Amino acid sequence: MELELFSGAFFSALLAIILIDLVLAGDNALIIGLVARNLPKDSQKKVIFWGTFGAIAIRALMAILVVYILAVPGFMLAGGLALVWIARKLLTPQDKEEESHLVKAPAASFAAAVRTIIIADAVMGIDNVLAIGGASHGSILLILIGLAISVPIIVWGSQLVIKLVDRYPSVILVGGAVLCWTAYGMIVREPMLVAWFEAHPAAKLVLAVLAFSIALAPWYAERLSEQMKPLTVLLPAMLIWMLGFEAASSIWKVQVDYLMATTQGEYMLEGLRWIGWLPFAALFLWVRERMVLRNARLARSAQ
Amino acid sequence: MRLIHRSHRAANAVRTVSPSGELFVASIVICMILASFGDAVDPTWLGEAGLEFAFFDFGGEFSVLAMRHWHLLELLLAGGAMAAGIMVLRIVVGAFFHPLDPVHRDAVEKVPIKL
Repeated sequence: MELELFSGAFFSALLAIILIDLVLAGDNALIIGLVARNLPKDSQKKVIFWGTFGAIAIRALMAILVVYILAVPGFMLAGGLALVWIARKLLTPQDKEEESHLVKAPAASFAAAVRTIIIADAVMGIDNVLAIGGASHGSILLILIGLAISVPIIVWGSQLVIKLVDRYPSVILVGGAVLCWTAYGMIVREPMLVAWFEAHPAAKLVLAVLAFSIALAPWYAERLSEQMKPLTVLLPAMLIWMLGFEAASSIWKVQVDYLMATTQGEYMLEGLRWIGWLPFAALFLWVRERMVLRNARLARSAQ
Repeated sequence: MRLIHRSHRAANAVRTVSPSGELFVASIVICMILASFGDAVDPTWLGEAGLEFAFFDFGGEFSVLAMRHWHLLELLLAGGAMAAGIMVLRIVVGAFFHPLDPVHRDAVEKVPIKL
């Protein structure tokens, strides 16, 4: 789908790309610092320039490549599902400072340093390019404009970005919500599912709530009391149950709509759809309670 | 390692976010879900149910049916407006109910009138 230039949709997609770029940006300065710390001073400057240039080039190339990959049937769905998980990971609190696993030791030569920086950036940027590929609606121009705006901010204004998110942590939450919204859009646009979603419009709403309930779970779990915490599992599970019945009705051609049900079996199926999840929820709560009690007993005996 | 993880507050955004920031993002999420609801509702079904007039009279451009076409910018603006509205409502309702709270029995000023 090509977006009309300078339309509301165009600027919205551009905003989504910039926001995604900012919240999912890798710490290039840290990588460069780690790689180039043992090189001579004049080589360090060259490594910073060529490393940054190479990282930007590979990022742009990967983003453009992703647009073509996402056009292949099935990849939009996979990308959307991956984005929901990326949004969840973004919002999950980081108690310990994460160490970089991409750089094991400082580079011994200029070429090795540049190569390490580019590879590290490519690995760190996979989630980023996937997200901007989904948000760009297939427009390469949008990706290039988005990168042209966000890359200089990240490379030369990283302190500014850190100050912004430190002052307003809600930017991260907005980023998570935008990622989730992009994921929903990608799944709904999946070529293999477009016709199915047209035939089952209610499934779109269930899917949107499901995506938000999974991606934003770390956020609302923080606000729930200990007794209500199982909701973070039960709510998505219940929505998957509902979607599963909707999908099963299409695959096995069974009637799950009670307004159209005619036989006793169809009415039973409808009942199973609405209340069939209750025993599973009860079982889950029982097992969880047992585990909590067991852990408490183990902790007490360890003291 | 992400750039944002250099800030402890950003790395723990779900814990450190301010109440107003949280309200703003929650409003955006609600708008996004409403937009997907608009996407999920079949307008012909509303016609069959005789609800189309009610929807157009009630919401016009702002009904969930119109929201299905909203872009991210519109959703962010709507989220901001909704958050501001809820905050104003909270202040007004608070100001209305505050005088109704009885003064503590040991308080010096039992009657809130100063001569």
